[in-house]
Amino acid sequence: MAPLNESQWSFLHLVGRRVVPPLANLDDAGRARFRTIIANALAERPPGVRAQIRAFLTLLRLAPLLRWGRTFSQLPGERQDRFLRWLQDEAPARLRQGFWGLKTLLFMGYYGQAELGASFAYTPSPTGNEYLLA
Amino acid sequence: MREHTFDIVIIGSGAGGGAAAKELAPLCREGARIAVLEWGPRLAEHEYTGRETEMAGRLYFESGGVFTRDRTMTLAFGRAYGGSTVVYTGTSLMIPERPVKRWGVPGLTWEDLRRRSLKYIRENNVHLLEEERLNDNNRLFQAACERLGFRVEQFPINVKGCKGAGLCNLGCPNAAKQGTHRVQLPAAEAQGVQVITNCKVQRIEGRGVLRAVVEERSFGLPSPWEPGEHLVRARVVIVAGGAVHSPALLLRSGLGRQLPALGRYFTAHPALILVGEHPRSITNYYGHPKSFYCDHFAERGFLLETCMYFPFVTAKNLIGFGEEHAQLMHRMDRLQMILVLALDEALPDNRVTLDRAGEPVVEYRFSEPVLEALLESMKVSARIFFAAGAQRVHAPAGEKFLIERHEQDHLDELITRRRLQPGRISIASAHLMGGCRMGASPADSVTDSWGQVHGVPWLYVADSSLFPNCAEINPYVTIMAFADRVAEAVRARWREV
Repeated sequence: MAPLNESQWSFLHLVGRRVVPPLANLDDAGRARFRTIIANALAERPPGVRAQIRAFLTLLRLAPLLRWGRTFSQLPGERQDRFLRWLQDEAPARLRQGFWGLKTLLFMGYYGQAELGASFAYTPSPTGNEYLLA
Repeated sequence: MREHTFDIVIIGSGAGGGAAAKELAPLCREGARIAVLEWGPRLAEHEYTGRETEMAGRLYFESGGVFTRDRTMTLAFGRAYGGSTVVYTGTSLMIPERPVKRWGVPGLTWEDLRRRSLKYIRENNVHLLEEERLNDNNRLFQAACERLGFRVEQFPINVKGCKGAGLCNLGCPNAAKQGTHRVQLPAAEAQGVQVITNCKVQRIEGRGVLRAVVEERSFGLPSPWEPGEHLVRARVVIVAGGAVHSPALLLRSGLGRQLPALGRYFTAHPALILVGEHPRSITNYYGHPKSFYCDHFAERGFLLETCMYFPFVTAKNLIGFGEEHAQLMHRMDRLQMILVLALDEALPDNRVTLDRAGEPVVEYRFSEPVLEALLESMKVSARIFFAAGAQRVHAPAGEKFLIERHEQDHLDELITRRRLQPGRISIASAHLMGGCRMGASPADSVTDSWGQVHGVPWLYVADSSLFPNCAEINPYVTIMAFADRVAEAVRARWREV
């Protein structure tokens, strides 16, 4: 069973662009790698964890209705950020932990792409000492 | 189901299992049949690619992100031919006298552990890296500590032909790190010990009977045994699956009823990563990543170490998101990093237990002294970054994402207990200890000082789960010294069991 359905993937991308802005600049290959990395990470987690991530995405989508009368997707970017910051810093522990887990997946999907290393000034070498001894 | 019979079976091939295998291997000449059952894969050399997510998936349980029950800490531990010695940085310290005295285990002396540790320090080529191979990330830490009057020491490391890939935590792509996968296990195999990879031991059923399953994987060399279920009989069983899986296996096998301390007194050296940004590019991911440590504050409950992590691990340890996070991440070549480790007391309620499926769950609560130590360690680290010339610092418990250089006199207001909320910040551990602690009595320990499980003469433990309390240093050499003791006991007793 796929870890997320199409609608969940598309919502994850939407949240992802607030958490990791350069995600918006990925080309098709980068977006495919983003999905593969996250799908693999979810696949190796226990089923309960996958279910929690799906439930957290639903909550994230709908919770702003209570405060602003609009879903997360309908909020302007600045307000989306404010809501995410509340989840990170002020929300009850379970929600904080849920957001931490979601952020971790998004960071993994983007910064886990070795192909992007040069864009964030990370170009390791198997013979790194050559750079020290040069 | 296939059946196999051995004299000695070792479960796990890391620092403990690998060292025990090598020490017992000479018994093969006397006709002893010895096997090591390792859950993880044995990678072919070309499979050490250095790619972060790929290698994390191949070499760590859950890619290095196993959660504690309340999801406030992630645990990183290896699963491979060589266990966690494949993925550590090779730092090889002799345990100081103080913690061993504090443990107070009858029959276990610091002199004995020191003697055995020295053997592995020689055997695994432990030495100090030459000065010209120290990168800026390490030199800046050393110089700043000295400037501030903090005691700072160089880490001895166990490398041979290190080319400075800086990828130690992803498995060295140059085969330089001298873990048990390079030293003890090949030596044991050469003497006749069989190593069965991809083999998970599910439970111990009665006297020396193990139920195991060999798994198929899309990477690594094929296991010597066919995929599927296997029944393994042995006269002596040595459990060396690490501080999570050894207690879990013994709990699954029903030993918790007679050993109330089983799984308990788990300690982890909870750790945080701090980042300082320099105004220019520094050498940080070239060269060995971990050359210095500062134990100046050990009495106050924490250690500081140099470190250099990979992009994803760095990103998840920066507490924040959005533009400011992305901007800092896009200057990886300017980042200096410090790892802080809290010295956490072994508490009975911090423990490994089982879920309904029999899989391990780690219950861990941060004590107030640990949280205080983490808070203090962040302030000290920030001082070190600024003394090293950093422009700005990210501290996980910062009131702001970045503390600027001109704010360095206000660290007490800018790094606060209010922000140090477990579940908000990324606390991780790679030094998992306890759960099968050594001791004199089955009331509060699991094994005697030679690793024999209380009341079970054919069952031993030889790994990090033996620590009665935290090691206060990187624990690998001490684990090998423990395993050496266990092997000595088994050599003396295996025929009569």
